[in-house]
Amino acid sequence: MRLEKCWFCSSTVYPGHGIQFVRNDAKIFRFCRSKCHKNFKMKRNPRKVKWTKAYRRLHGKDMTQDSTFEFERKRNRPERYDRNLAENTLKAIKKIDKVRVEREARHHENRFKGKRSKEQKEAAKELKQSIDMIRAPAALQQEPSLILPKKVKVSSQQSEENRMEE
Amino acid sequence: MAAAFTSKSLRAARSLLGGIGNNLGVQGMPHEMSCSEFLFQQCRTFIQMRTNLKVVDNSGAKRVMCIQALKGKKGARLGDTIVASVKESQPGGKVKKGDVVYGVVVRAAMPRGRCDGSEVKFDDNAVVLVNKQGEPIGTRVFGPVPHELRKKKHVKILSLAEHIA
Repeated sequence: MRLEKCWFCSSTVYPGHGIQFVRNDAKIFRFCRSKCHKNFKMKRNPRKVKWTKAYRRLHGKDMTQDSTFEFERKRNRPERYDRNLAENTLKAIKKIDKVRVEREARHHENRFKGKRSKEQKEAAKELKQSIDMIRAPAALQQEPSLILPKKVKVSSQQSEENRMEE
Repeated sequence: MAAAFTSKSLRAARSLLGGIGNNLGVQGMPHEMSCSEFLFQQCRTFIQMRTNLKVVDNSGAKRVMCIQALKGKKGARLGDTIVASVKESQPGGKVKKGDVVYGVVVRAAMPRGRCDGSEVKFDDNAVVLVNKQGEPIGTRVFGPVPHELRKKKHVKILSLAEHIA
């Protein structure tokens, strides 16, 4: 029994699931579910559809090069049954899976790292630039509490005292 | 609103069409598809009386028309045997135009369930001509054929076939 990959979304197609389409040049297209089959019939390119593995790989969203992927390979020669080997393989599957998940999480963390500081920077910039939309610039100059923290820093004690008086 | 959306999607689809077709190396795909064809693919159904089928062997016939399905109330499916009349044939072949022949459906566009519960479907409706005993008339079979033919005792067709899907 072989676990095939879906042509569209690259997920695993388990036996008895999905549909396969055989083109006249004998190329077989396997689909895991009707969603993928319909998208194929609509002639969509999996590299341009955001939820597919092909898109995520192409755009650097997921980990692509890793030694844990080496284990998953198409082998045409059936392995001779060996009790010890089967036992060890079952043990290794769990371990390899754990390693892969950890590495993937690390990859995602690294990928998000730049984003977080960028977002913060952008938010600060927006606050600085568009504070005028909430309060008129003239009013801002009078109102000490709306002045950005940088400027307040110089005379923070003073501003607090002012507020208390109000 | 709806009209605007469809026209937009169509335009996008048109621009996509050429690119994908080239990527996949699709041959003979009709690039000028109409809107209805593109959005709603035709629902494929049984092979019934007056269905035209391609003949994919070297028996000499090119196109046959189904005149009777030998199995099933609604019609024949993948792997079933039909009675057909030859509509187009090559000169000097074993069968002539107007002959009544038996044929095994080796490709059907209608999805057919497999033994494990998944489904298989093909590009077109194609047939291999056989005699009454179920032996193929031609000596070659072109294109892919499903492995289900083994269950139907058409091992000869399977052994002649180029590809087994």
